[in-house]
Amino acid sequence: MSPSVNSPSLYRRLLIWLLVPMLALGTLMLVQSYLASRDTADRAFDRLLESASLSIAEQVKRQQGQLWMDLPPAALKMLASNAEERVFYALYDAHDNFISGNAELPRIDNGQGSMRFTNIQWHDMALRLGVRRSQLEGWRDRQPFEVRVAHTREGREALTQTLFQGSMLRLIAMAMLAIGVVLLGVRMALMPLTRLRRAIRARDPRTLAPLDLTLPRELAELRETLNDLLARMRRVRANQERFIGDASHQLRTPLAGLSARAELALRQDDPRAWHDALGVMRGSADKTARLASQLLSLTRLNNPESMPEARDIDLCDIARQAVRDALTSCHRAGIDLGVETPSHAVIQHAVEWQIAEALANLIDNASRYGASRITVRVGENPMRLEVEDDGPGIPEAQRLLVLRPFHRGMEGNQGSGLGLAIVDGIARAHAARLTLVPARPNAEPPGLRVRLHFTEESTP
Amino acid sequence: MTAPYRSLARWAAALAGMMLSAMALADGAHVLRYTADHEANAPSLEIHGALDNGLMAPLLADFHARYPDIDLTYRNLTTLTLYRRFLSEDEASADVVMSSAMPWQYQLANRGHAQALTTPAARQWPQASRWRHELFGFTFEPVVIVYRRDALEGATPPDSHEALLSLLTRERQRLKGRVVTYDPWRSGAGYTYATEDAYMSPRYWELVAALGGVEAELADTTGEMLDGLAEGRYAVGYNLLGSYARDFVADHPQLEMVIPSDYALVTQRLVLIPKRAPHPKTAERFVDYLLSRQGQQVIRDKTPLGAVHTALEGEGTARDLRKTLGDAIHPIAIDPSLLATLDTLKRHSLLERWQREYTRLSDSGP
Repeated sequence: MSPSVNSPSLYRRLLIWLLVPMLALGTLMLVQSYLASRDTADRAFDRLLESASLSIAEQVKRQQGQLWMDLPPAALKMLASNAEERVFYALYDAHDNFISGNAELPRIDNGQGSMRFTNIQWHDMALRLGVRRSQLEGWRDRQPFEVRVAHTREGREALTQTLFQGSMLRLIAMAMLAIGVVLLGVRMALMPLTRLRRAIRARDPRTLAPLDLTLPRELAELRETLNDLLARMRRVRANQERFIGDASHQLRTPLAGLSARAELALRQDDPRAWHDALGVMRGSADKTARLASQLLSLTRLNNPESMPEARDIDLCDIARQAVRDALTSCHRAGIDLGVETPSHAVIQHAVEWQIAEALANLIDNASRYGASRITVRVGENPMRLEVEDDGPGIPEAQRLLVLRPFHRGMEGNQGSGLGLAIVDGIARAHAARLTLVPARPNAEPPGLRVRLHFTEESTP
Repeated sequence: MTAPYRSLARWAAALAGMMLSAMALADGAHVLRYTADHEANAPSLEIHGALDNGLMAPLLADFHARYPDIDLTYRNLTTLTLYRRFLSEDEASADVVMSSAMPWQYQLANRGHAQALTTPAARQWPQASRWRHELFGFTFEPVVIVYRRDALEGATPPDSHEALLSLLTRERQRLKGRVVTYDPWRSGAGYTYATEDAYMSPRYWELVAALGGVEAELADTTGEMLDGLAEGRYAVGYNLLGSYARDFVADHPQLEMVIPSDYALVTQRLVLIPKRAPHPKTAERFVDYLLSRQGQQVIRDKTPLGAVHTALEGEGTARDLRKTLGDAIHPIAIDPSLLATLDTLKRHSLLERWQREYTRLSDSGP
């Protein structure tokens, strides 16, 4: 779990998502501020066009039947700022005829009001043109005319630059500040994560105690999940510890019995007594060996890392084999063991040894708990394996408990208490349903029918 | 006067050597030519100017001495021809255009026909004597009053516009027909001075009326007025070009030149490099030379034109005039108001008014 170079950093991710939009926004603001600066400069300089055209218009009069003006030099001076713009002016009559001026300037058709402005390209020069519509002030003659003034854009550009530079400096300062705040903010926001990591790393690896750490809500969820996992692990470990305790207890008892029996036999001189003792000891050893192998099966089943090989098997074959294997011991105990299978093969994807183990355990269980008749049955639609006996059965309240290891249906009986737990483990590994029901609900004893019920997704 | 003449002699020796190889006069008296020393692939330079050859020759000779590799042609034209020729598409453009007709030169530059010059000399050129970096005033010539001492005996000499007005009013009978000034209709310079005078003070119209009262003669050129004054036909000349008058008055002891002390108009010759100039490199070199200390020194020492360069002192320089006259110095501004003088309606208005004022006293007088 060491941080790899390629794995994306949360810090970097946050920074990218904060800084890239911020930069984009900053660029947008720069563009906007440039446009605003240009607009401001244009408005400021348009005032010059306005007043120059006004002072020209005031000098326009009618003389000898035509438009006449005494051009005020100050009006032209007004058009030029420190930037020494080129200036142009013209007087036009109502019919768009050039009356006087130093350039023939175009008219502006769109726009409203008496003063109109526009940017034009005129003889390779970028000009700002202002057109004033006015009319003669007289008692009778109110002939309209147009004063057109224009100048080059140097002054406007200089002012735009000045304004823009000012706002750009402010923007850059603000951006610096914002980047600093973002860097600091992200660092601060990710601090609890660092704290959590340190707390986990600083823990004793053997302890499964819950994490106790004050964290922000988002991380508190993570902490709770972690604590849930820890709690589950604690339960698993407690189970394992109990299982080991139970298993060692189970193994110690027969071994202690063996030892006691051997000691008793050794005190006697009678070879017959030795023989008897040896017979008992062999039975005891058999039982212990069986217990040990059952424990092994259970461990193998509970090991989540083991991946048993499943393949298509014929359930009828398995059932017949199980019956054959148990036939001798049952016959000796006077139990009637039988098998009922369809005439054709019933194929199920499963782990063969596990199914065989489950059947063996069920037959063994039934024979131990006082059945006189055991039937192994293979069913179809849905596919199932059944082991039915006419023993005392399991009371309904006990049916879940018997699935736990070392729980024995009846105290004092000779079973290991692992059989049904193993069957349950196998059923779970195959995603099959395990049901325990009375074989004849109304009879006494009711008997027990254990059914392994394969479902659609029953593949280990 | 001795210093310029001494250096002139020095330059004459240099000129003599040059003339053997180079100087030629073509196209009558209107063209000055200085051919390059190495004729093959010599960069050429064509200057069109409204300055007399006599005024230009020292400058051109000095320039040619410094840059003998440049094939130099100077064409002397009248201000109007110069302007028309500039705007005509058919004629090949000159490399440098210089003229005393300030409004026309300004109009050309304003229309974007001039290219900028950004040599160090051009950048340091006084702000008042240039427009952008396209138009440079390289001379400084006051507009003056010249009078005959003998004709004004007993009267206060006209050392200002105010004094001239009172002189004309008081000595109306004595000065009748003996005052001369520019004809504002026929002379561009006269018209320009009239607009500037009218702009300076509304009392100018009283002066025009007084000029009308003494039935002042109207002349076309400063030379004409000076000749008349020297011959004794005129007693007082108003609004003469100081650069011409200075040397002339020095040669005629009975004449006195006065730079008006209330305000003295100063006119400048403006030089520009056309955008269409076929040899912009040599053109830049020449204008840079005109604005350089060396070029300005030649203008100060060998011409009466008046140097503008701020580092130069001496008679007739801008620095000298500013020092002696202070605020009264009123150079005609190189700014858009020059365009107003070119406006035809404005011209009509002004000349009409001039005519009205000029004839006011004679109509109502006895």
